[in-house]
Amino acid sequence: MNAIVRLGPAELTLIEQLKNLGAHAEAERLTAAGLPTRRVESYHYTDLKALLRSVPELGTAGGAGAPHFDIPGTWRVAIVNGAIGSPIGAPHGVTAGTVSGSVLTERDDMLVRLNSALTQQSLSLEISGDIAEPLVIDRQFAGEAAHVATGAKIFVADGAKVTIVEVYSGSEAAHLGNHATYLAIGKGAEVTHITLNLMDKAATHFATNEYLISESARLRTLAIQAGGALSRTQLLPRYVGKGAYADITGLSLVGDGQHADITMDAQHAVPNTSSKPLFKSIARGRSKAVVQGRLVVARDAQKTDAKLMAQGLMLSDEAEILTKPELEIYADDVVCGHGSTCGRLDDDHLFYLMARGIDKITAETMLVRAFLAALVDPIENQSLKAALTGVIDGWLENA
Amino acid sequence: MTTPMLEIRNLHVRIEEREILKGVNLVVPKGEVHAIMGRNGSGKSTLSYVLAGKEDYEVTEGEVLLDGVNILEMEPSERAVAGLFLAFQYPIEIPGVATMTFLKAALNAQRKARGEVEISTPDFMRAVKESGKQLNIDSEMLKRALNVGFSGGEKKRAEILQMALLKPKMCILDETDSGLDIDALQVVSNGVNSLRDGERAMLVITHYQRLLNHIVPDVVHVFSDGRVVESGGKELALELEAKGYADFDSAAA
Repeated sequence: MNAIVRLGPAELTLIEQLKNLGAHAEAERLTAAGLPTRRVESYHYTDLKALLRSVPELGTAGGAGAPHFDIPGTWRVAIVNGAIGSPIGAPHGVTAGTVSGSVLTERDDMLVRLNSALTQQSLSLEISGDIAEPLVIDRQFAGEAAHVATGAKIFVADGAKVTIVEVYSGSEAAHLGNHATYLAIGKGAEVTHITLNLMDKAATHFATNEYLISESARLRTLAIQAGGALSRTQLLPRYVGKGAYADITGLSLVGDGQHADITMDAQHAVPNTSSKPLFKSIARGRSKAVVQGRLVVARDAQKTDAKLMAQGLMLSDEAEILTKPELEIYADDVVCGHGSTCGRLDDDHLFYLMARGIDKITAETMLVRAFLAALVDPIENQSLKAALTGVIDGWLENA
Repeated sequence: MTTPMLEIRNLHVRIEEREILKGVNLVVPKGEVHAIMGRNGSGKSTLSYVLAGKEDYEVTEGEVLLDGVNILEMEPSERAVAGLFLAFQYPIEIPGVATMTFLKAALNAQRKARGEVEISTPDFMRAVKESGKQLNIDSEMLKRALNVGFSGGEKKRAEILQMALLKPKMCILDETDSGLDIDALQVVSNGVNSLRDGERAMLVITHYQRLLNHIVPDVVHVFSDGRVVESGGKELALELEAKGYADFDSAAA
């Protein structure tokens, strides 16, 4: 049974860092098990042991934190190399502060465990009422390559309405970020939660977003991964109140040398909850996009209505898109399904547009935008929508 | 002699190993409307796709001159910008692309290629409204995604709307009458006829004579087994309708 695990340089550095922070139990676990490999089902397509070659030094506070990516008409709080900036001028109804330690619920997952062991202090936001201005949590990396773990704990009161944007960006270096967000949504509240990975192409980006969705609450999420050599966003929605609804969506834009993974594990715990998870990937060059979507419907969660869809667009011969839906249903009166499509742009579509005089590159861009419309169109805030469209267009133009 | 608008010389085309067009010769002078009639499978639609520049077809021999310029090496978009327009037999549905966005992109692509400035939004709206009115196209239809959920008749009318906006030199109408009832046929034909002038040329592909009652051609060509086997005046269409295509097959042998 006890096969000896050979530890690589990344694992050895992580173990050292855990020990230095006093997280001896976690250090021992990592020593015994190593990073997850393809043999661990949830890491089957993102073999961390193979993909994570080195770990930079733990980051130290620094930098003024001017935004790399600015969205007009928003309120912003910066976290630079893990140091939480003083949140000033919060809109009425928003209370910002800090909490010690990490924010995620304990879970048998390496990224969650590492985040919990490494995060010293987390941002805390308490939100009530109807907040017109989007709130931006701006997690930045400054200077030399740094390993940083961060957390944000957000409570949205019953009946509140808010849009929260999280941006991950930094200097040109092989940073390693392991981020966490815990978002608890009160009864009847309406929340839009956007995450935007704009890390340098040499960086590694891990983020875990845990959602607690109460009775009659509505959540829309969009996780965009456009940066980083290696990225994985874990989405953990839990539907805990009757009538809870969420559109969990994600988008990976990958080019040469990039590997991006979106993994959802949704738990429908009570009756009458619904969700329409939709994940899209566009891959070009030699790249890989992974989508894993798991729906777990508990025995009591009758009348669950959940449809999972994954759609991939491959723009090169070397691009790879891997999709894995998993349905685990213990209730007997539910409507659950999944679908997946993957392919190139349609030649007939392209020909039709070109036959009207639209050049090939413009025609391709129009078709790619059409492919993404379902993710971006539902975002209500116009300046936010324009900013996200700008990110997508920028990616398309820099082919 | 003035340069014809379209001149096809000894055009041979194959798909994989099968030869579809076997030496097409055809001249459409400026300002004239020509019809191509032929039974299904004779290669009429292949001809229209090859002219528009669709991939998958291999031209093994011959030339196609648009206003004196060989277009066979051009991309479909370059041919369109040069003034060629194909009204599709089966217009393609493109979800997610708004019809108006598409129309404006097409119009501006052509203006840009001709060195003209982009059309202003009010001018564009006015042009669409004007052309749309004649074709019974309401603004609700234009708000939808391109051809998505359009009926057969709506798709054909939308094709003619595009033709009216883009003002091509050479129009190819591939089975524009298919899927149209009498009323819609009248609307579409009126739209096409209003675009006839002393300069613009048209090639109307059909296998029914009835369209040619509405769009009266100057010349009718009979197409059989991948080539033109007979040409004549508009009365040739009536002769075909009466006798069927069989009589013309021997000419192809």
